[in-house]
Amino acid sequence: MITLTHFLLVSACIFCIGMYAVLAKRNAIMILVGIELMINAAILNFVAFSKYDKTNYGGQIFALFAIVLAAAAVAVGLAIILNVYRHFNTINPKNMHELKD
Amino acid sequence: MGLLSILIFLPLIALALILALPNTAKSSYKYIALGFTVLQLGIALYIYQNFQGAQAGVNILSDFQFLEQASWIRLDLGAIGKLEIDYLIGLDGISLPLIVLSALVMLMGVGASWNIDKSPKGYFALLMLLNTAVMGIFCALDFFLFYVFYEVMLFPLYFLIGIWGGVRREYAAIKFFLYTLLGSVFMLLVIVGLYFSVTNPETGAHTFNMLHMMNPSNYVDGSFFSFIANYHEVLGIPARLIGFIILFFAFAIKVPIVPLHTWLPDAHVEAPTPVSIILAGILLKIGGYGIIRVCYSIFPDMAALTNWWLALIGIISILYGALNALAQKDLKRMIAYSSVSHMGFVLLGIASLTAEGISGAMFQMISHGFLSAALFFLVGVIYDRVHDRYIYNFRGLAGIMPKYTACVAIVFFASLGLPGFSAFIGEAFVIIGTFNAQSMTTGIPRWMAIAGSAGIFLSAAYFLWTLQRMFFGQTRLQGGTAWASALTDLNRRELLILVPTISLALILGIVPSLVFGKLNASILKLIDIINPYI
Amino acid sequence: MNELLPISPINASVLIALLPFLAFLIQAVLGKTQTSGNISLVAIILSTTLSLFWVFPAVWNHDQQTLKLVWFVIGEYDLNVGVLLNNLTVLMQLIVCIIALPVHIYSKAYMKADPGLHRYWMFLSLFCFAMLSLTISINLFQSYIFWELVGFASYLLIGYWFTKDSAVQANKKAFLVNRIGDIGFLIGIALIYSHVGTLDLTMLFGPSGVFNPSSLEHGQSLVIDTDASWRTWAGICFFLGAMAKSAQFPLHIWLPDAMEGPTSVSSLIHAATMVAAGVFLLCTIFPLFNATVLLLIAIIGTLTAISGAIFALGQQDIKKILAFSTISQLGFMMVGVGIGAWDSAMFHLGTHAFFKCLLFLCAGAVIHEMAHLKKHRNLEFDPQNLRNMGGLRKYMPKTFLCMSIASLALAGFPLTAGYLSKDSIVVGAFEWGAYHGGWHMIIPITLIIVSILTAFYIGRLIWKAFFGNFRFADLLNTDHTMREAPVLMLAPMIFLALCCFAPAFSLQPLDYHASWLMQGLHVQTAYPAIPSAHLYIPVILSIGAIVSWFIGWKWYTQREYPFSTGNKLVQLANNQFYLNEFNEVIFVNSIKRLSGFLYFVDRKVVDGLTYLFTNLIQSIARAVNWLDKNVIDGLVNMVANSTYYLGHLVRHVQNGQLQGYLGFALTVLILGFLYLIIK
Repeated sequence: MITLTHFLLVSACIFCIGMYAVLAKRNAIMILVGIELMINAAILNFVAFSKYDKTNYGGQIFALFAIVLAAAAVAVGLAIILNVYRHFNTINPKNMHELKD
Repeated sequence: MGLLSILIFLPLIALALILALPNTAKSSYKYIALGFTVLQLGIALYIYQNFQGAQAGVNILSDFQFLEQASWIRLDLGAIGKLEIDYLIGLDGISLPLIVLSALVMLMGVGASWNIDKSPKGYFALLMLLNTAVMGIFCALDFFLFYVFYEVMLFPLYFLIGIWGGVRREYAAIKFFLYTLLGSVFMLLVIVGLYFSVTNPETGAHTFNMLHMMNPSNYVDGSFFSFIANYHEVLGIPARLIGFIILFFAFAIKVPIVPLHTWLPDAHVEAPTPVSIILAGILLKIGGYGIIRVCYSIFPDMAALTNWWLALIGIISILYGALNALAQKDLKRMIAYSSVSHMGFVLLGIASLTAEGISGAMFQMISHGFLSAALFFLVGVIYDRVHDRYIYNFRGLAGIMPKYTACVAIVFFASLGLPGFSAFIGEAFVIIGTFNAQSMTTGIPRWMAIAGSAGIFLSAAYFLWTLQRMFFGQTRLQGGTAWASALTDLNRRELLILVPTISLALILGIVPSLVFGKLNASILKLIDIINPYI
Repeated sequence: MNELLPISPINASVLIALLPFLAFLIQAVLGKTQTSGNISLVAIILSTTLSLFWVFPAVWNHDQQTLKLVWFVIGEYDLNVGVLLNNLTVLMQLIVCIIALPVHIYSKAYMKADPGLHRYWMFLSLFCFAMLSLTISINLFQSYIFWELVGFASYLLIGYWFTKDSAVQANKKAFLVNRIGDIGFLIGIALIYSHVGTLDLTMLFGPSGVFNPSSLEHGQSLVIDTDASWRTWAGICFFLGAMAKSAQFPLHIWLPDAMEGPTSVSSLIHAATMVAAGVFLLCTIFPLFNATVLLLIAIIGTLTAISGAIFALGQQDIKKILAFSTISQLGFMMVGVGIGAWDSAMFHLGTHAFFKCLLFLCAGAVIHEMAHLKKHRNLEFDPQNLRNMGGLRKYMPKTFLCMSIASLALAGFPLTAGYLSKDSIVVGAFEWGAYHGGWHMIIPITLIIVSILTAFYIGRLIWKAFFGNFRFADLLNTDHTMREAPVLMLAPMIFLALCCFAPAFSLQPLDYHASWLMQGLHVQTAYPAIPSAHLYIPVILSIGAIVSWFIGWKWYTQREYPFSTGNKLVQLANNQFYLNEFNEVIFVNSIKRLSGFLYFVDRKVVDGLTYLFTNLIQSIARAVNWLDKNVIDGLVNMVANSTYYLGHLVRHVQNGQLQGYLGFALTVLILGFLYLIIK
């Protein structure tokens, strides 16, 4: 029988993969993908926990909302990356020091 | 506000006026300074006229004239007692002649400053400040007040030498300043010591009043400087002796004595003419005045104890200064050393502890005040014209500057003690007084008087030698025809300063009672104070 | 006279002194415009008239008159000044006046057309004032003042031609040598003041003075022991003063040099009056001296007399001979004082004043003509040198006559004034020597020798200058010749020549006791008179003089001069036994060297101590500075640096990379979790 714990375990795995991609990848697009993975891990958790709200389905609705938001964020993110590429001619985050003091 | 306060603080008004006027009114500064010094001289002469010579002063407050007393600082210090500092000024026979002398020499100094064009504002302002300080020193009867004026005097002099001086002016200014400060800093210690030893008999509080310090019964029993019952000792030396020596050295630096004299030739040579005039004319007298007013009056016991050594120092200063003057090739330096020699007579006379000796010393101070001022002025005349003072660069000046030569010859002869001029009376009575010391058993042997009179001979030697080298013979100048045309004879302003000075030296030499009449009672009183300890 | 001049002799004597002073002041004010000298002349004429016709007759052989005023009070002592008129002082004042007047007249012609003439008259009047005041001073301190003032006037007049180096050297020397004496005088005054308590001459030496115990009826309480050592010292000190002023050996060295001044000045100041002031002073304070000092005075006087005479023997400069002669004669006067016969000293002072002044004036007339010739012909020679003269009696007979009279007086020839006065001293010395016996006889014998030497050197001067042939005779022509001196010069000379004869002083021309001067001043001497000495001493002197003249005539006019030019003894005498050189080396140079050395000490040692002190302070300051920089500031810096390094380490986190930041945040988060877990 698949319990809530299994869902949460999968979700944690996805989050960790996303986290790894964000921290370690040398490509902005891969980082974006990592972010998406982390968001999806969160969405998975929403859906899994929605079993405790059988009247309003708040979890499912919030998941849908988050998917839409994520889609929008990806669009914005891609646009930023495009602009970064234009500015630095690279999308490797190592080569960008503008935040340094 | 009494007459003395006006006399002291009048220059401060001039100072304010000079500072307030904008720089565009540059040319008016000297007139302001002149006006105020003339006024000051007028007041000084008025005071002189109204001074009663019969009142002795010295250690009796009621005998002081033109007395002003006001509480100045009153502080309750708890356990230590009450701090009592008075604004106490007054005149007796010892300070009066010096006040008149100061007013006169200041006027001369301003007259000699006529051609100062390097920032005249600061110059005249400092001169006025110096004037106030000098007057204050001679009037102050409260030791604290005395010290304040004494220190205030240093400040303008430092700048006057350091800014308006010659090539090595910074060196000379610092040397002068540090030397004097060295003495006065230690003086402060003694002042504090005296303060804690003496109480005011009326209020019971400790006091800075010098007259209270002169009365042995005002000393707290067992205090540091007390001396009725028993002497406090430090390392086996009586504390009073230490106090006396420290005070003596503070003033001796000013006199100056050999070997503390080396600031003087440097300061004189580097200082501008007017400052040399004031330095020699007034400031050296502060040393002699301090020894009489402070060292001798407050420490009469030690005065009687140490006078042999003081006289020895006087003799050394006379002979050493004279011989050094003989070796000089710079005219101004020669005169500076002659000052050392002549001030040695002052010390010798003071140390003789006879009425003739001390009166002679006072007279010598007055006379040296005029004559050294005139001498430095005369050097200034020639330096103004060709910016050279080297004796061997001039020869036969009598041929091209007859009036100048006449003045130089008169002042030289006056300085070397020609009868008819004031220095003669001073020196002769110092010698006679010192000689008399043996009859009075004050402990000065006669050979000291004889050694002192050898100084008279040497002063004739260096003055005449200089006359011969610089003024007589065929005219020959280092600078050739350029100098010959630059060396014009005395102009009207210079004559206006010199003639009154020379006539004063002459008048004082012919009518010495002008000074002695005011001085005698005080000197006899001073002798009375010291006599019990001999 | 009283009706004519309603003033007391006291006031008149003050007036006598003040008139020249007034002349001095007027000329000082007028300055260069006043060159005629009429003001000085008028002043001295009035002074002389007053002195001769009013003060002198009123006081001479009358009671002394005094005037005392308090000058000033010092301590408890009232210093009096005033006038003391007695035989001695009025005599001296009269002598000064009577000598000064002819010299003034003479100067008018002699100094004519000199460029600095206004100074000459000014200084001359100043001198007359000081000298005339000196004579009548009542107080030793007052005497000292005028004593120095005459020295000052003499300084000015010796250096009158101040462009001449030798003149300036000479006046410096004169003043300095006199200064030595002045110091002696001053110390003497101090000694008397401290032991007796007064400087008033009447109280010290008057009829009832402290030093005159013989007349104590006025209840004088203070009697000074004659042998008190301070009294000896005081006597020596005063004598030192007199030695310098009266050019006694070895302080005589200034007088020959002083001849650099105008000859008229030499005649007045350095022959007749000022140099005699020392003798006058000793006469004034005579009672002070005890036997020791008197003996010393006599010895020094004798030494001076003989040395002056020897130095005079070989001189070539006409004025130098006269100068040394003056020194020698002053020595005679000193001997007079030393043997106690100060009346004789004053007598000789009086006669000497006339004949020596006359000698100088005659010499001046000769020099004047010689200088004139030199200027006219553009020659280069010394107008004062005897070698350039000779045979002048043909050109200047009156001058020659005057000079001969003066020379006879100087040599002490009978019938002249000099005979009387010189005899009085030599005879007195002889009596004194005989009384004391033994080696004391050396003094009169020396004096006799000196007298003969005197006759010889003055004879030599006359022979060389006025006899023989004139060296420049061939240069003279009708256009320019050596002429007799002008009337203005001649008249004073003739007047003085008349005064050189014995009748001016004594109607009995062979006995000095009969002289009015000796009777007026009469001094009772301790030794008995030897009547025979009055006979044979003058005879010896006269014969000696005549013999010496004969020798001189043989040597100098007959060209039988026995010595070679380089004779050592002559050289020695000419150079005053090298006394000047000795002084130069021993005293002047050593003082100069000492002063140089002391200046070196002053700069290097005394000022060096200052530097040392400064350097010490500076080094301490540097050490403290090092300490401050490295230790105290080091601590502060350490704190700052460690903070910096710490910050530097953490700084790496802030690398500007988003991933880094996120990683860091994650690390912290994990650490937080770990903390929570472990807790």
